[in-house]
Amino acid sequence: MIKLLGKILLYGVLVLIALEILVRVFHLYPEDPPRFIDELNVEKRVPGYTGYSVTGNRRQNFSEFRINKQGFNSYRNFNPSESKNELALIGDSFIQGFHEEYDQSIGKKIDQKVDGLEVYEYGYAGWDMADQLHLINAYKQDFEKIDHIVIYMDYPSDFHRATYEPNYKRIKLLNSTVFKLRNNIKLFYYASEIGMLDSVKRFVSGKTKDSDNEAEEDIVDSNEKDEAAGTYISNFDSLLKLYPIEKNKTSFLLDFRTTPKEFLSYCRENNIKVIDFGKLFEKSKVPVTLIYDQHWNTHGRSLVAKSIVKSLYPHQEH
Amino acid sequence: MLFNSIDFAVFLPIVLTIFWILNRYAGLVTRNFFLLIASYIFYGWWDYRFLSLIVLSTLVDYFVGRYMGKVIDAKLRKRLLWLSVSFNLGLLGFFKYYNFFVDSFVDSFSLFGIQLGQVWTLEILLPVGISFYTFQTMSYTLDIYRKQLEPTNDFISFAAYVAFFPQLVAGPIERASHLLPQLMKKGKFTYGQASDGLKLILWGLFKKMVIADSLAPIVDDIFSNYSEYSAPTLIMGAIFFGFQIYGDFSGYSDIAIGTSKLFGVELMSNFKFPYFSRNIGEFWRRWHISLSLWFRDYLYIPLGGSKNGKTQALRNIFIIFLVSGLWHGANWTFVFWGLFNAILFVPSFLMGSNRKYADKGTAAFGTPIKDYLQMLLTFILVTFGWIFFRSSSLQEAFKYIGGILAKWNYEPYFHPQGYRLIDYFLIIGIFVCYEFLISDNERKPFNFKSRIVRFTIYTLVVFGILLFYDDGVDRSFIYFQF
Repeated sequence: MIKLLGKILLYGVLVLIALEILVRVFHLYPEDPPRFIDELNVEKRVPGYTGYSVTGNRRQNFSEFRINKQGFNSYRNFNPSESKNELALIGDSFIQGFHEEYDQSIGKKIDQKVDGLEVYEYGYAGWDMADQLHLINAYKQDFEKIDHIVIYMDYPSDFHRATYEPNYKRIKLLNSTVFKLRNNIKLFYYASEIGMLDSVKRFVSGKTKDSDNEAEEDIVDSNEKDEAAGTYISNFDSLLKLYPIEKNKTSFLLDFRTTPKEFLSYCRENNIKVIDFGKLFEKSKVPVTLIYDQHWNTHGRSLVAKSIVKSLYPHQEH
Repeated sequence: MLFNSIDFAVFLPIVLTIFWILNRYAGLVTRNFFLLIASYIFYGWWDYRFLSLIVLSTLVDYFVGRYMGKVIDAKLRKRLLWLSVSFNLGLLGFFKYYNFFVDSFVDSFSLFGIQLGQVWTLEILLPVGISFYTFQTMSYTLDIYRKQLEPTNDFISFAAYVAFFPQLVAGPIERASHLLPQLMKKGKFTYGQASDGLKLILWGLFKKMVIADSLAPIVDDIFSNYSEYSAPTLIMGAIFFGFQIYGDFSGYSDIAIGTSKLFGVELMSNFKFPYFSRNIGEFWRRWHISLSLWFRDYLYIPLGGSKNGKTQALRNIFIIFLVSGLWHGANWTFVFWGLFNAILFVPSFLMGSNRKYADKGTAAFGTPIKDYLQMLLTFILVTFGWIFFRSSSLQEAFKYIGGILAKWNYEPYFHPQGYRLIDYFLIIGIFVCYEFLISDNERKPFNFKSRIVRFTIYTLVVFGILLFYDDGVDRSFIYFQF
């Protein structure tokens, strides 16, 4: 038996080493540029990183990202000035756009449609409305120089809180030794990303797959309640009071199809400008999202860019 | 507990360690009692309530067997046999077929315009593996009745034989004459046997997780939405199901045989590369061997086999194929699938070619082109039969076939989760070539002399599991429902 255990151990280690090499050679592992919270309490990426975002076991999505000097994934650095024509695009992972090539971003597509316009994409996966409004407030000096601000709004996930608190705990966790180890052992990172370690985690925590699903269903059920819609509007209202926006130059980018009427009425009553991309999505005969990943694909991005240009620069589109 | 779960990955080493410690330092009864408890835990992981059925079946057959061993009177022996068979088939009939027969009865009246309603059906859960362990215990009393086996006085070993966890829920369906003696003596841990067992487990996991589980979402999608798809997609769905069920069931059998080897127990082979068969007769000697042999020994031969002329032989062939179909599930689709296979089998039986390849091994490289063409034809026929097996009703099966015959326009098919389809064709191609390469011995999937070659294959097998792993897929085995 000792001989067997010894061989299992030896072959096990050698196979793991070989797998680590294979995962690296085929670049199956994702890369996640490090995050930090700056002096103005804005959570973002450490500037200067380039790499590849990978999703799926077999590289179902594989795209290059580039973190600019300001700490956001973009084809350009942000340098706002009074003399230039600028547009800021703020949002979560949909705007961050790791799932497609960075030089095929929504910002780039708008840039190509409008002469002399510079688009600054402030996208960060996991941001909600509190993060986004805090960003504008924190970088007030920059945003005062920018001509138009478009904030991507994802109802209801953007409206779960009424105040902003920087999440130091998460950043600390991501910078912990365990996570650093995970990021450096590519096989481990890959296995973790494809969900292979989930069953181990469930086993250790004593949870079942069903209990995870039930928890998710509970959230969906509660979201459907009317009181929840009231809470979301109230949260939005509180955030706007805390971080007032310049209504004449700020628009919210949203999908009319998934946003409740009460919410749209609130925006109308408070003179909050909205841009709907849902109509173009609805008309589209080809898919607007990636198949494996539900983020917007290149066509979806073009339609979002078109919606923004049509709304803000109706005479300059070409 | 599933073989491909973390629970089992924790369960197996613990049970194995204690088993070998008890094997060395404790008595046989203690060791087998532990194995019995471990097997009950393994089964109870799904639903502990159904353990009572296994216990009952064990008690009935143990005492019937013992009593039968003492009785000389032929009539009484027969009555005892009927008691055992009625009890086991009664369990199976109630839990598996009750609603099916009631529904069929009601439906047959509705054909004549009489509506009986469906008030008699019950909400019965199907106990996992009931078809397997009832057949296994029945073989014990049948062998004693035929005086081919001496009844055992060791209840614990007998109970461990009935509930032996590696093969409890989906076979191979073992005979007491083969498995019981292995459990009734102290085993010896050997490096070779354990190493072979681990290799079979790895290969079984590959078949299950890479072939069966990765094809499952595509097959489910095509069979659920068959009316939306054109013929090429429907054909692809049937072929993929052929590989899914093979990967699923033979993968389970490999893991079962491999796990047993770790306990020093040899189980019979259940699959011998059936898709390389050159006719249907050969296919049925290579597919689910333990069930085919069970039906041969306890149904076909007692009915007279082929000794009493061709007419009676044909009747017997149809009976075993129909019963075999019904054994798989309480649905007319399985009965029709059995009938279809009987129809395929009959020509080769009448021409006397059904046993042509019985004593020959699998076709190897360099075999005549005719053999390859025969393999292809057999595969096509078997795959066609799978349409009945996989469809949820006979009507749907015929509509599916109708789609294959009528909708000959090409429409691209997209994986329901957006994966590249080419990956699946590639992995099936590699799998078929590799199985052909190793087809001289189904129990040694990595039988290469060079350590480097073996190591490379181990690595690629695990790499394949990583590449096709899907946490979202239902990982239970298809044959558990039978």
